[in-house]
Amino acid sequence: MGLSLATAGAGAADFVPKDGKIGYAMTDLYWAIYQTPDAKQECPKGFNDGPREQFDKLFPAGKKRTVADTQLLLETKTWLTSPEPDGFVFKEIVGPTSYGLNLDGKVDANDFTSPTGEKGIDNQLYRALGCVIGFRGPDGVEYIFENKAISQSRYNRTMIEITGVDSLVNDDDVKVTIYRGLDRLLTDATGNKVMPGGSQRVDDRWGKKLIQTIPGRIKDGVLTTQPAKQMIIPWMNLGVPTFQLIRDMRFQLKLTPTGAEGLIAGYADVDIWYKQLIRNDSTHHLSNGQISGISLYKALRRLADAYPDSQTGANTAISSALDVKMVQVYINAPPSNTITAAR
Amino acid sequence: MRRAMTARKLQMAGGVLTVAMLLASGSSSASGDMAAKAGSAGAREIYVHVPTPEGIRVQSTELEGPVFATADGHTLYVWPFKRMRVGYSGEQKGKPACYDEVLKTTAGLMSPYPAGAELPELDTRPSCAKLWPPVLAKADDKLVGKWTVVDRKDGTKQWAYDEQPVYTSILDKQPGDVYGGFSRRSGGDSPAGRQPIGPPSKVPPGFDVKTTTLGRLLTTKKNYSVYSYDKDTPEKSNCVGECAQVWTPLIAPETAQPQGDWSLVVRSAGVKQWAYRKKPLYTYTLDQRPSSLEGSDVPGWHNVYTQFAPSFPKGFTLQDSIAGQVLADAKGKTIYQYNCGDDSQDQLSCETPDDTQVYRLAMCGAGDPVRCQKNWPYVLADKGTTSISRTWTVMSIDPKTGHRATAGQTDALSVWAYRDRPVYTYAEDKAPGDVYGDATGEWRGGRNGLKAIWVRDDFFGGGQ
Repeated sequence: MGLSLATAGAGAADFVPKDGKIGYAMTDLYWAIYQTPDAKQECPKGFNDGPREQFDKLFPAGKKRTVADTQLLLETKTWLTSPEPDGFVFKEIVGPTSYGLNLDGKVDANDFTSPTGEKGIDNQLYRALGCVIGFRGPDGVEYIFENKAISQSRYNRTMIEITGVDSLVNDDDVKVTIYRGLDRLLTDATGNKVMPGGSQRVDDRWGKKLIQTIPGRIKDGVLTTQPAKQMIIPWMNLGVPTFQLIRDMRFQLKLTPTGAEGLIAGYADVDIWYKQLIRNDSTHHLSNGQISGISLYKALRRLADAYPDSQTGANTAISSALDVKMVQVYINAPPSNTITAAR
Repeated sequence: MRRAMTARKLQMAGGVLTVAMLLASGSSSASGDMAAKAGSAGAREIYVHVPTPEGIRVQSTELEGPVFATADGHTLYVWPFKRMRVGYSGEQKGKPACYDEVLKTTAGLMSPYPAGAELPELDTRPSCAKLWPPVLAKADDKLVGKWTVVDRKDGTKQWAYDEQPVYTSILDKQPGDVYGGFSRRSGGDSPAGRQPIGPPSKVPPGFDVKTTTLGRLLTTKKNYSVYSYDKDTPEKSNCVGECAQVWTPLIAPETAQPQGDWSLVVRSAGVKQWAYRKKPLYTYTLDQRPSSLEGSDVPGWHNVYTQFAPSFPKGFTLQDSIAGQVLADAKGKTIYQYNCGDDSQDQLSCETPDDTQVYRLAMCGAGDPVRCQKNWPYVLADKGTTSISRTWTVMSIDPKTGHRATAGQTDALSVWAYRDRPVYTYAEDKAPGDVYGDATGEWRGGRNGLKAIWVRDDFFGGGQ
């Protein structure tokens, strides 16, 4: 839905983190989708069909059906993907506005403009997902459940620790280390509201390959990092230990002493993106969000805009942005040699 | 009498087996030799002797521990009622639903596909009762303990345990085979499967035993793992003070008495702690999920098993992924098993080489066996290798069909099988620890798809 950075710096003005470091754990994560009332601006032709609607069109009731010619045919196409057209018209975003960042430093015809007027926004993933009900808030099935899993599953416990911080408002040179935590998030007595001030052990065994440090700077209370070559975001939704791989990943986060929110942006690996979706969500779950995996994969391949395959020339990654919220935590990092060894 | 003697032997054989023995050879990847070392102890789980009808006995098995079996050793199963996405399958208590009738169409139990589609290979499709012969009772058989007799609609009578009708599986050939089903949690959207039944494990109140990949894991009744400590002795716990704040001693009631594998250690006057096979027992306060193995990462501490699973084939390895540890081949490629149950009311298996291969071939290669072999190659057994247990066997497969090869077939493949089902690697896994194939296929790989064989998962219910 997009998170505003307009009040950057609020609450951070007179805060200096102890020992120059502050940690945050991820609590919310959504694919950034710019939505207007009734979607009239961005999806004037309406929303895409899902598996149930496509099944009814392909196999009208009253005709003899076999498992092999219906269910297995569609499941095969879902899992053994092809970029070739499937005969259904896919409705892409047509509006000019999107959340995200200018990833390539250019402004070209396919780019969006941010709600605050910044041009050159690279977010072709939004073009693919924006007219799919399941990814739209507040009640799309992916919007709800993929995000819910972020706070509930320890597997998804992505954290950052910012070090070398002289001021949470302006600091030209900070380091941002990405970890995975091992513990549940601190909540209030209801168990539903995540609270700042919890502590997290660092997963330096299974999560060792997730650890990396990138430089950044804080300006007017907003942390912006340099691009990391790639970031693995562990993202299990329905019990399958999958992840997203974001290339040229960078954070843009408004910081406060108790939390951070903003964007993760970069180029999502298309095949990994798609498999993260369909390995967690069966065709049943996708149906509840009117998400045709078959049609969506073809759109992703068609709209992919970076990292061309060395042999085919086809792009393998798609520009993307994620809305992220984090809560302040105390990170019990392993000895520095452990972290260094993992880089 | 025979049963009692067996139990005494098991008690005598039962040294302390912990997962450390499995993982302590100094290599993080070798497993076969380590498992062989643990397996050589040969300890078997002790069970409670409950009354059984004539002709039904208890059989020790490699993965499931003690199970009920027919006189000739065929494992007994039940088919519990299960709520599906749309409707129900399985059997209600006291009401057999598995008959000698061949079902022809889908029941539409799993959204989004509607009911009424013709099932594959109807000319050779078996009936439920052909795959699951009911265990019939005589007209004058009487109730014995939890064993009762239920009426079948064809007029015959069938044994039931805890009111669930009882069957054998045609997949089981030898005593100790449990190929028809398993007791491990397999996910809410898995088929309504058949489950082996057996006598209760002989554990004190407050304890339980769970089947895992590595063996029969001792847990509390609330499913939290139980640990032992190297520095303890059979007479004394050496975990006190700060240690006991992290490792919670499992305190026994004042009236508790030692029995069999179970003994008591006095921590302080009037405070006794349970010990199993002479090792005092604890839980780990940092365990955040049931059946955890995380405490065993702490030097000197070990999970406790009543019996270990058989060793992995020689050359197999264990690999760390970002989600835990998976079984892998000698090159480090993750090993997967194929899971399949059809959408008939019978919920028949489609996952063994004896079942229809229409589902598997569709998922792995759009119906093309060559493409399947490229995407999901079988894990080949070295020439001359033979089965090493009832759990890990070598089978001969016809790669063109996916069925068992015929005798003397020249292009047959000799492949490793887990629980009598071939295992595979995935072409998209490039490096050790890659698990890109996990949960491939319908319903997260649980109904017509593949799942990795997880040896340890700290984060999810992956079937560890």
